[in-house]
Amino acid sequence: MTALDPVRDVAAPKQRTDWGAVRAIMRRDLAAVTRSKAVMLPMLLVPLLMLVLLPMSVALAANGSALDVTKILNMLPGRLAEPISLVPNNEQLIILVLGYLVAPLFLIVPLMVSAVLAGDAFAGEKERKTLESLLHLPIRDRDLYIGKLLVSFIPSVAVSWLGYLLFCVVANASAWPVMHRAFMPTRLWAVVILWIAPAVAAVGLGIMVRVSIRANNTQEAQQLGGAVVLPLVVLAVAQTTALMLSGIRLTFLAGCAIWVVAIWLNVRGARAFTRDRMAARL
Amino acid sequence: MGERDLVIDCEALTRSFPAGVALDALTLDARPGEVLALLGPNGAGKTTTMRLLNGVLLPDSGRASVLGLDPWTQGEELRRRTGVLTENAGLDERFTALENLEFVGRLRGMTEQAARKRGMDLLERFDMGHRADVRVQGFSTGQRKRIALARALLHDPELLFLDEPTSGLDPAATRDVVDLIGSLAADHGRTVVLCTHFLGEAGKLASRMAVLFRGVLHAFGTPGDLAAELWSRFEVRLDLGAPAAPPLIAALTSLPHVHEAVATERGAIVFTSARDDVPSVVAACVRERSTVFGVDPRDPNLEDVYFALEAQAARSRSTPAPDLVGAFSAEVPS
Ligand SMILES: Nc1ncnc2c1ncn2[C@@H]1O[C@H](COP(=O)(O)OP(=O)(O)O)[C@@H](O)[C@H]1O
Ligand SMILES: [Mg+2]
Repeated sequence: MTALDPVRDVAAPKQRTDWGAVRAIMRRDLAAVTRSKAVMLPMLLVPLLMLVLLPMSVALAANGSALDVTKILNMLPGRLAEPISLVPNNEQLIILVLGYLVAPLFLIVPLMVSAVLAGDAFAGEKERKTLESLLHLPIRDRDLYIGKLLVSFIPSVAVSWLGYLLFCVVANASAWPVMHRAFMPTRLWAVVILWIAPAVAAVGLGIMVRVSIRANNTQEAQQLGGAVVLPLVVLAVAQTTALMLSGIRLTFLAGCAIWVVAIWLNVRGARAFTRDRMAARL
Repeated sequence: MGERDLVIDCEALTRSFPAGVALDALTLDARPGEVLALLGPNGAGKTTTMRLLNGVLLPDSGRASVLGLDPWTQGEELRRRTGVLTENAGLDERFTALENLEFVGRLRGMTEQAARKRGMDLLERFDMGHRADVRVQGFSTGQRKRIALARALLHDPELLFLDEPTSGLDPAATRDVVDLIGSLAADHGRTVVLCTHFLGEAGKLASRMAVLFRGVLHAFGTPGDLAAELWSRFEVRLDLGAPAAPPLIAALTSLPHVHEAVATERGAIVFTSARDDVPSVVAACVRERSTVFGVDPRDPNLEDVYFALEAQAARSRSTPAPDLVGAFSAEVPS
């Protein structure tokens, strides 16, 4: 009955997630997002650029002139260049770029999509001034958090996976005149898409949730988030490229490390996500 | 009435923010079926009180029981039985009026159909049925308030919190909403907590009033209890085209409920006891053969009091904060 009791929350019996409430939140946010151009446009444009236009132009380049990649390969440490030096010369550009270099870049897709969606789901409530009335509804802090998290996470993974399917089709089709076979998907890509991409999406979420609680509107959240996320992207892309070239095992382990960070960020985010804290920042 | 029957029962409720104390040891109660007004200027702590009582904010200290529940450990259970109209209607512009209600209905465990049906009924009752399937973007403040009110009533709550329900409304919309609230309170014994800075609105609707100023409760009681002090001077401005002549002033002063009449450049200011005295004031003018161009009855506004208090506080910094109720009977600066 008394006020602030620091142990109260911990001592309270663990209550089960109310999936009905979680679903209601998710359905509403999903419906809202599909009606918002500011969210849909970047969500569709970036994957389109990266996953359709990029493979097409690389394939065209490989087909048109005999671009020599041996120079690039020579710059790499011997062990790293090995998987590519083994394939025929005219296939090297395609394998190097589409098989290796694009994959880490591709991680921008889940990161960006999850950041845009989480910004809309968390900071967007504040910007649209709908947060206060939401807090007055009978939904537990944790269920609200779960709903918002899933509605950002699931679409970003879905967009990544569908985007990758599209990428495979476009890459195989446009590289056909050179390769004469379907070379996508590769095992390495499978690790990146199935294992690393969701982890990266979760990292983007974890960061955006923290940032969104502080920010007053989506734009501010995106800016703050971008400042944190962009250096990470550069780092991750560089690291992943090197790791991918050195083999599937290390790539998988890198994914594990990203998952650890993602889980840590999200557990902390869930703790920070309390009604009182949100109401105090209305 | 026993303690158990109280809908709201709170004691020494205190909450501060980094900027300072928003609510200082608030003690009050609400009885079943009553309209309780929280009255005070901006920053008085009305919204904070409402958030605390609905378990949205945690207090620094104090205790409360709302509908027999502890708002801070049984918040979800409590919020299932309360409805809130926030000051900013808080509708999602990307959805239609009905969709905004449906979402809340589903969150409150209603089926989609039940939520639609109940939502439509309420929208029709509030004269918004024809706009049910239109996106909220571009709706007027009055329309938004009515949709938000429908949303707050979707589950037929036992306790209704209304935060500044008429702020931003034009006079006609204000009257509509005030009438609406009056009828809601009459619905099967529902208890209503009304936060407002309009004395008139509180006077019209509330069975009891809590007057807050800078987070401190200054007066708490029925309008009857407070009226003597709060409404001892009801100001009416008369536009007579010219200063009121001494015989008219004398005639006005001699009326039963008139405390004072003062001539002004264009007529007179008359201080009466209540709005009901206005007709007799006008009749007196007519009897004295004055031409009445305009009558402007001025509801006492807390802003006036706020400025009066600020001025008083500035004059004597060392003295404690003046009593708000006392300040009401002090002359209101014009
Ligand atoms: N979330 C908050 N953070 C900081 N200060 C706040 C917050 N909410 C309210 N306050 C302060 O507390 C006081 C009371 O605010 P509020 O309850 O909103 O008053 P009212 O609703 O009567 O206008 C004000 O001085 C306000 O600035
Ligand atoms: Mg307020």
